[in-house]
Amino acid sequence: MLDRGDLDKLMRALAETREREIGCDECFEQMDRFAEIEFSGSDSATAMPLVHDHLRKCEDCHEKYEALLIAIGAG
Amino acid sequence: MRERTNAQWLAELRGPNPNEALADLYDLLVRGLRAALGGRAGANIEDFAQEALLKITNNLDSFRGESHFTTWAKKIAMNVALTELKRRRWRDVSLQELLAGHQGTGRGLADLQLTPEQVAFQNIVLAEVRGIIDKELTDRQREAVVAVILEGMPIAEVARRMGTNQNALYKLLHDARKKLKLRMEAVGLPPQEVLAAFDTG
Repeated sequence: MLDRGDLDKLMRALAETREREIGCDECFEQMDRFAEIEFSGSDSATAMPLVHDHLRKCEDCHEKYEALLIAIGAG
Repeated sequence: MRERTNAQWLAELRGPNPNEALADLYDLLVRGLRAALGGRAGANIEDFAQEALLKITNNLDSFRGESHFTTWAKKIAMNVALTELKRRRWRDVSLQELLAGHQGTGRGLADLQLTPEQVAFQNIVLAEVRGIIDKELTDRQREAVVAVILEGMPIAEVARRMGTNQNALYKLLHDARKKLKLRMEAVGLPPQEVLAAFDTG
């Protein structure tokens, strides 16, 4: 069921796997605060590492986050 | 639109005359959605803003005050719009067909960039990983890994088809990833090292 491309994707996902990760609900709850930290030019990854980690791994949440940043910029 | 503090937004929206605040918030959401989604949402921008407005006003108590109220409101609007747009984009994709496409194909490893040693190592790793996936993961974990990690289907869409929600599916996937990673490490194939060995520059 796996080919080389699959293996690459799977190994990348496993290499980034941490014992503690937050889920999509927890990420969504904190996303507005995280976005404002990022928008202000501060280091959001250091301030909220678990949210940052989730956004790197979850494309669904990342897409919403990117949209939110643009919407904040729109005033 | 006049500036409001978080407390003023909440007081007006909860008060006896919320219309001006509602109209301002609606305009704000439309502007944010238009900027973020551009042509993707087409004529749906107003519908998304309306639906988000309803969700926001019904859930004012869940605003924790950790950001500007308007940022929190925009977050809800982005969620409404992107969830729906994604549902439409993936509506005709069947999970079963996606999974079936992955069974027993045994697609080859042709890659001219690899040395014979790398190919031999890949074959060992592939056999090991296939065995671990078969033995260690539940059927649901296996389905989720294939659909989300290998096929790139959105978590929310896989969750809908598996009769669960996005958060629960993320946690199921996290458990599956942790289990696979541990087993890979136990058999002497840490994922980081496997990746490095495959890296052909």
